Amino acid sequence: MLDKILFLLCLASALADERCMPDTPHGFQVRLSIKTALGDEAYVWNENEMFLFRASLAFAMRNHMNGQQFEVSNIIVCNETMRVSFWFIVTSPLDTSQLIDQENVEAAIRQSRNRINSAFLLTDKTLEFVDILPTLATLYTHPTPPWLIVFGVVMGAVGAGIIIMLVSSVVQKKRKTNGKPQDKDDDEETRVKTVENGDAHDGVHNMSFSEDERFTKM
Amino acid sequence: MEKDARPNWDSPMQFVLACVSYAVGLGNVWRFPYLCQMHGGGGFLIPYFIMLLVEGVPLFYMELAIGQKMRLGSIGAWTAISPYLGGVGLASVVTSLYLCLYYNIINAWSFWYLFHSFQSVLPWAVCPINANRTAPIEECERASPTQYFFYRETLNISSTIEENGGIHTGQALCFLLTWVITYLCVVRGVQSTGKVVYFTATFPYVVLFIYLIRGFTLHGAVNGVKYMFTPKMDQLANPTTWINAATQIFFSLGLGFGSLIAFSSYNQYNNNFERQAITVSLINSGTSIFASIVTFAIYGFKATINYENCLERTRILLLNTFNLAEDTINMDNVFEWIEKLNATYPEQFNEIANDTGNCDLEKELATAVEGPGLAFIVYSEAITNMPLSQLWSVLYFIMLLLLGVGSMLGNITAIITPLQDFKAASRISSELFNGLVCLFCLLLGLGFTTTSGNYWFTIFNDYGATFSLLFIVLIEVITVSYIYGIKRFEKDIEDMLGHRPNWYWKIMWVAISPLLLIVLFVFYIVNYIMGGTPTYQAWDKEEGKSVLTEYPVFGQVFIALLLVSSVSCVPLTALYVFCRKRKHGKAHKQQHALNAVSA
Repeated sequence: MLDKILFLLCLASALADERCMPDTPHGFQVRLSIKTALGDEAYVWNENEMFLFRASLAFAMRNHMNGQQFEVSNIIVCNETMRVSFWFIVTSPLDTSQLIDQENVEAAIRQSRNRINSAFLLTDKTLEFVDILPTLATLYTHPTPPWLIVFGVVMGAVGAGIIIMLVSSVVQKKRKTNGKPQDKDDDEETRVKTVENGDAHDGVHNMSFSEDERFTKM
Repeated sequence: MEKDARPNWDSPMQFVLACVSYAVGLGNVWRFPYLCQMHGGGGFLIPYFIMLLVEGVPLFYMELAIGQKMRLGSIGAWTAISPYLGGVGLASVVTSLYLCLYYNIINAWSFWYLFHSFQSVLPWAVCPINANRTAPIEECERASPTQYFFYRETLNISSTIEENGGIHTGQALCFLLTWVITYLCVVRGVQSTGKVVYFTATFPYVVLFIYLIRGFTLHGAVNGVKYMFTPKMDQLANPTTWINAATQIFFSLGLGFGSLIAFSSYNQYNNNFERQAITVSLINSGTSIFASIVTFAIYGFKATINYENCLERTRILLLNTFNLAEDTINMDNVFEWIEKLNATYPEQFNEIANDTGNCDLEKELATAVEGPGLAFIVYSEAITNMPLSQLWSVLYFIMLLLLGVGSMLGNITAIITPLQDFKAASRISSELFNGLVCLFCLLLGLGFTTTSGNYWFTIFNDYGATFSLLFIVLIEVITVSYIYGIKRFEKDIEDMLGHRPNWYWKIMWVAISPLLLIVLFVFYIVNYIMGGTPTYQAWDKEEGKSVLTEYPVFGQVFIALLLVSSVSCVPLTALYVFCRKRKHGKAHKQQHALNAVSA
C-alpha cells in the first residue's frame, strides 16, 4: 500500500514537473536583476528567497481569486538559471492536476505587483515577469499646468513695465507742454532759422552741397 | 532745434554692447559648431579667420561708417549716398521685416521650454504614457522623448506643409510674450534699447562660462572636445569649406540688414568706430569659438551617455539570452563576451546578432546637428542627463532667450529707424509707431504658430534673408567703392575719425571684398539651380523621424517671391527715381523757359 502511495506521489510530482517547462502556455518566465538593483547590498539568491517568491505569488493568487486558499506548494518552479530566471506555473488548490490559466495568473500578478516587488526590494524593471507589461504610473497632472503660472507671472511683470514706461512718457510730454507757452516766442525764431538753413534733419540737403561739386564743370 | 535732435546712445559703451548683442546671436551657438564639425574641426578656424579679416571686418567697418556719417537709417543713408540706389536701403528694410517676422518664433520656443523647466520631471525627459497605461505613446517610442516634446507638444506639427491646422495656443501666448518684451525694449528707441543691451550682451557670457565649467566636469566631455579640435586638414582643400566660412562670417555679423547703419546713426559724429568695428567682430568670432567648445563638451557627454546606454542594452540582452549570472559581463568586457558567445553558441547568437555590436562612440560623436534641432532637441537631451537638470535647463533657455532678444533688438531697430526718418512717421509719437510695427509683425507672425508653421519658418529661415543679403551687401560695397567714390568715403572717415583709413581697408573695399562677394553670390545661384527642387524635412508621425520632402508648387512660388521681393527693390527704386527726375527735369526746363521768356 505504502509503495503504491509513494509511486503515485512520485508520478504526481513528475507530472507536475513536466507541465512546468520553458515556453509553457500556462506559466510565465521571471527574471530578477538583483545586483543591478541593489549593487553592493545585493542578497544572494537561494532556496529561502525562492520560498519567499512562491509565498508571495500564492499571496497574489489568493488576493485575486477570492476564496481559493493557494499554498506555496501550488506554485511550481522550474528551470532556474544563473541569471536568476525561472519559469513557474500555478496549480489550483482544489485540484493539483488543474493549472490556473494565464489570464488569471497575469491579472493576479498585475494586481499585487507592488507588494511582490517590495518583498524583494526590486522594481518593475528589475523583477521582470516576461510578457506581463507593468501598468505604468502616469505622471501627476496638475490642475493648472505649471508653465501657465510662470507665463502669467512674466507676462504680468512685462505688461506692468510697459504701462509704466508709457505712462511716464505721457507724463513727461504733459510737463513739456506745460513749460511750452513760455518758450513759444523763442521757438518761432528758431523755426525761422531752421527754414533758412533748409530742413535740419533732411540729410539730402547736406549731401546736395557736395553733389553739386560733382556736377559743376568748372 | 532741440526737440528734433536725433536721439543718441548714452555712451559709446552702449553702442558697442548693442552691436555685440546684435551680432552674437543664435547662429554662434547652433551654426558655427556644426560647421566646425563638418569641416575638419580645429582646421576650420583657418578659413574662418582669413574670411574674418578679408570680408567680415572691412564690411562691418564700412556699414558703421555709413551710418555714423549719414546719421540716418538705411533708406535715408543710401538715398543720400546715391539717389538711384536708395533701393538698397529699402531692400534692407524688407529683408529685416522678413527676419523680424520669423525670428521671434524661436524666442517663443525658448520661452515655452523655459516655462516647462519649472517642473520636478522635465517633460522632455520621459515619454508620456498612452491611454491604456501599458506603454509610452507610440510616436514617442519610435522617436525619442526630446523629439516628441519638440515636434508634438511644442509645435504640434502636421505631416506636410500643405496640411494646415489651428493655432497652437501655448505657442501663440509665448509668441505674444516675446513681442511684448521686444516692444518693451524698443519702446523709447535708443533710450530703452541702450539700457537693455547691458544685460542682453553680458549675461549670455556668464551662462556660457558656467556651462563651460559644467561641461568640462561632465563624464565623457573630453571625448567631444578632442573630436572637435583634432584638425582634419584635408578639409581645407574642399572649396565648400571656404565658402561656408565666408557665409558664416557674413551672416554672423549681421551685415546688410541695416541694423548696423541704424545703430551707428545714433552715434556721436566723432565716435571712434574703427576700433569698435574690430572689437565687435573679434568678440563675435571669439564667442563662436567659445560656444562651440561648450557645445562639443556637451556633445561628448551626450555621445558617451548614448554609447554607454547602448553597451548596457547589449549587456542585458546577452545576459538574458544566455542566462548568465549578472556579474559575469560588465561594461568593459561586453565586446569580448560577444565574440566568446558567438563562437560557443553560434545559432543562438545569430538570433540576436542584429542588436549587438553596433555601439560606436565615433558614430555617436559624428552625428552633427545644426539649427533649432541642436538647440532644442540635442541640448535638451543632454540636459536631462545632468544632475539638477531643472537648474541647467532654466539657465540654458534664459541664455538662448537673451541671445535671441538681443538680435531681435537690432532687427527691429533696422525697420524702425529708416521708417522714422520719413516725415510722415515722425508726426506720430515714437512709442505709438514702435507699437504699431510690433503689432504688425505679431499679427503676421502668428502664422508660424499653426501646425504647419514650422515648415513656413524653414522657408523663411533658408530663403528669406540669405540670397538677398549677399546681393544687398555686394551692391553696397560696389556703391561705396565706385559710385560714391572711395576717395570721398576716405575723406568722410577722416572727417569723423581724424585720420584716413589704412591702405588695407581700401584694398579690401575696392577689390577683395566685392570679388569674394561675387564668388559667394555665384556659388549660391549655382547651388540653387543645381539643387533641383528645393526640399524640406517633414516630420513623419508614423515613423517618428524626419523625411525629406519636396516643396509643393505654391511653396516654390513663395520662395521665389521672397527672393524677388527684396532683391527687386533696388532696380525698381532706381527706375522710380529715374522717372521722377525726368519729370522734374522736364518741369524745371519748362519753368526756366517761362522765366526766360517772361524776363
